[in-house]
Amino acid sequence: MTFLRRYLLPRLFQYVVVIFVGTTIVFISTRLTPADPVQQTIQRITAQGGYMDPAAVEEFARTLRELYGLEGSVLQQYAALWKRLLTGNFGRSYTYFPTPVIQLIRTSLPWTLGLLSLSSIVAWLAGTLLGGLAGYASQERWAKWLESVVMIIRPIPYYIVALLTLILFAYFLPIFPISGAFRMGIRATITWDFLMSIARHAFLPAASLVVGGMGVWFIQMKSLASTVIAEDYVTFGRAGGLPKGKLVFQYTIRNAMLPQITGLALALGQLLSGALVVEYVFSYPGLGMLLYQAITQGDYNLTMGITMLSIMVIATGVLIIDLMYPLFDPRVRYR
Amino acid sequence: MKHLRGILVLCLCLLSSLCAVRTPATAAEPARGETIIVDILSGRDANAGNFNLWVPGAAAPSKGIQQFMVRPLWMTEYAKGEVLNVLAKDPPIYNADFTQMTVNLRDGIFWSDGVEFTADDVAYTVETLMKNKGMFFNTELNLYVDKVAKPSRYQVVFHLKTPNSRFHSFFLDRWGAIRFMPKHVFEKVPDLMTFPNYPPVSLGAYVLADYDPQGFWFRWTRRDDWQRTVVGKLYGMPQPKMVTFYFYGPPEKKVIAQSQHELDMTDLTPEALRAVLDKNSASRGYRKQYPWFVNVDPAITGIQLNTDKPPFNLKDVRWALVLATDIVDFAMTGFDGMATMGAMLLPPTPAYTKWYYQPMLTWLENFTLDVDGKPFKPFDRSAPIRLAQRAKERGYTVPTSEAQIREIWGVGWWKYAPDVAAKLLERNKFKKGGDGKWLLPDGTPWKFTIITIPNAAHPQNRNAFAMSQQWKKFGIDVNVETLDQYATLTQRGMFDASTQWPAREPWGAHPDMFRTFDHWNSAYYKPIGEMAIAPQGAASRWRDPRMDKVVESLKATPWGNTERIIQLGIEGLKITVEEMPGLPTVAYPGIVGWDETYWTNYPGAENVYAQPYHHWPNFEFMLPFLKSTGKK
Repeated sequence: MTFLRRYLLPRLFQYVVVIFVGTTIVFISTRLTPADPVQQTIQRITAQGGYMDPAAVEEFARTLRELYGLEGSVLQQYAALWKRLLTGNFGRSYTYFPTPVIQLIRTSLPWTLGLLSLSSIVAWLAGTLLGGLAGYASQERWAKWLESVVMIIRPIPYYIVALLTLILFAYFLPIFPISGAFRMGIRATITWDFLMSIARHAFLPAASLVVGGMGVWFIQMKSLASTVIAEDYVTFGRAGGLPKGKLVFQYTIRNAMLPQITGLALALGQLLSGALVVEYVFSYPGLGMLLYQAITQGDYNLTMGITMLSIMVIATGVLIIDLMYPLFDPRVRYR
Repeated sequence: MKHLRGILVLCLCLLSSLCAVRTPATAAEPARGETIIVDILSGRDANAGNFNLWVPGAAAPSKGIQQFMVRPLWMTEYAKGEVLNVLAKDPPIYNADFTQMTVNLRDGIFWSDGVEFTADDVAYTVETLMKNKGMFFNTELNLYVDKVAKPSRYQVVFHLKTPNSRFHSFFLDRWGAIRFMPKHVFEKVPDLMTFPNYPPVSLGAYVLADYDPQGFWFRWTRRDDWQRTVVGKLYGMPQPKMVTFYFYGPPEKKVIAQSQHELDMTDLTPEALRAVLDKNSASRGYRKQYPWFVNVDPAITGIQLNTDKPPFNLKDVRWALVLATDIVDFAMTGFDGMATMGAMLLPPTPAYTKWYYQPMLTWLENFTLDVDGKPFKPFDRSAPIRLAQRAKERGYTVPTSEAQIREIWGVGWWKYAPDVAAKLLERNKFKKGGDGKWLLPDGTPWKFTIITIPNAAHPQNRNAFAMSQQWKKFGIDVNVETLDQYATLTQRGMFDASTQWPAREPWGAHPDMFRTFDHWNSAYYKPIGEMAIAPQGAASRWRDPRMDKVVESLKATPWGNTERIIQLGIEGLKITVEEMPGLPTVAYPGIVGWDETYWTNYPGAENVYAQPYHHWPNFEFMLPFLKSTGKK
């Protein structure tokens, strides 16, 4: 009961507040940008060369405002947003009107989730494991060498890492494709051919993300592990003649992992915002470009839809981690 | 260690199998040599499965939709300065007071599902657009159309509510127009606004074969009955069996794709074109040699000034900015000489040069500005010659004949005369400060900002930075801001100077300037803070009663009376030269990269048989003329 009152309920309350405040901030910021979705639509038509009679422009703008649900005060629009959201409706995209926002998200989301979650987890696992080992054996030559390599790669901007990967393995050594999610002409069905095509197209983006991302986990973990090995229980364990594997994995890495797990949860939560640079460089489908386009086109509903989803996943991730802390660290239960 | 070695071996096996995956094309797919692969100008289409072209969030037209799926009544062929009769058999026929427009349709044109295209489709489309609020052209059609009559299977008569001599403009395709719905398909659909129109039936010679749900590629296959399409009847069989629209990504990816012979036609930046020419000996530009660029694009670029905002409300200030610009230096800095200079708010394409620049040459040369009571002739015929010389000094091989130089770089521009510019400012109480910078009449430093598009490769962005250098050199504190929302800010009048086109793009294929001039019509004027009718031209808020009169006269002139239209066009252009509401710099310099590994006979500068872009609706008309190299 105490756990429920003192631990669970405050966190659930915090969870609801985060979603409410986050949504409100996104709503306000979309309305503050000078991009007007109606004018963006008209500009798109006229910029493409279509002849729009000047006498008809204003009437067309009024019609669009009505169709887009942008009539009424900002407060009325805000109320309408919550009414919609509470029924699970993100509304219709303005850029792709009248396509529902959820349909656009549904098309891009699996690619973002697949690529980013896999690469984030691999980068996290590799960085944490290697960082933990290097932290434990920090005086060994291989650990110093590994750290030097990581220190060289880590500060390189991700865009450069991605571009280099692409040029090396898609141009000089043309063994991987340069764009897309799967081969042209192939049917999107669960077949070996299709799955291999997906893996082949995702390899370079994923590899660049792993190379670019594991450095942070490595350095963080190495520094945490270096601190943990100085703890008394590790010293006693070593003096007691415990096997090295047990000392490394159970005494050092396990105890240093808590901040890494929090970091992973946050990183996974942020996946929903997509990875604009990886999508841009590798022409890989995903939510990043969709969000960017939504912002620049003043597509309030699409912006809201993607960011709302992101806020909810981050908040849920943090909540789950908060609830799971007691499992990883028994001390949390007694606070 | 044993485990580690095992994991490594497993990873290597997996990697090598991934590298090895190259599934051969299926039997139904034509060989690479029978396919032409072109870029998608608008990029990845996040709503790839939508082929409904008539709703506000319409399908991206350049993925093959406007090239093949739909056809208009008429189309602009700006490279040759002609209006093509596409589904219409001949030009529009108006009655005397412009309240009726008759259209005679071609017979024997069929949709890809075997149904004939007739007046029923035209009438159905117009009536459907009028009925459905929010659909394209709904407002315009309701404004003008009283009723549509079908006297025969191949004739349509539009009865208009008010006289409109340019009503056919709505059906004249210039990257957008009213295109027709297949009545037999659409009439069965309960909600056309949400209808994705998939699989689409085509009026062009190609039909959609397959597409990527993620929006990176769309494949169109040639119809077996291509003879029953407009292109088949006019020009014969389009050569490629399949046309693939593929978006590879940013310019560097397009360079890689074309170097690997996987992208036959693409738009590029000048830098990317140089890279691809360097990497792929089979690649070429619109011209085979420097300056490579396309000089038929019907858009004039430059700087739009907010004439409702001091000091840009002063004609002298606007002219001072022109004379403070060294166009040769500007064109070399911003475009490496790959652009045609345009002295008027009109693109200097070959067609407009013939209709306007050449006939106005004497007037331009004799045009004077009053400077301290003395006449000053600002026009500079030698500017293109100097530009060619500067390019030569930069190491490029340039043509030696004056005619060729003028064909590439234009008939002339305005003199670089900072001394005259200074006099124009000084007589308006501007002063130079001790630091050599200009001060406004109230003694404060003259500072202003040019807003532009963030994309550094875009001609608008290049205009902004190259021009800011010119004006800084002259002593004005000019800043450039790149903003995604610059178009909206321009339209609202929240700007000093903007790189949105300084004039509305004209038709390109006809001398009629109504489309451009009407955007300066004072009837549509909007004060700062309110949305102007368009970000180009109209957003400058410039208006002049003399221009209103020209617009009214054009309205009363039949589209077919080109002699009178040109006369009025010249009249209007003279007003814009005198007033200089915005600064014209160079025509839109299109840069294309064409790979000749599989296909040749592209419409390059040496053989301009059609417009050169794969993203224009006219692309289909280029395809019968392409020649296969025979490489499979």
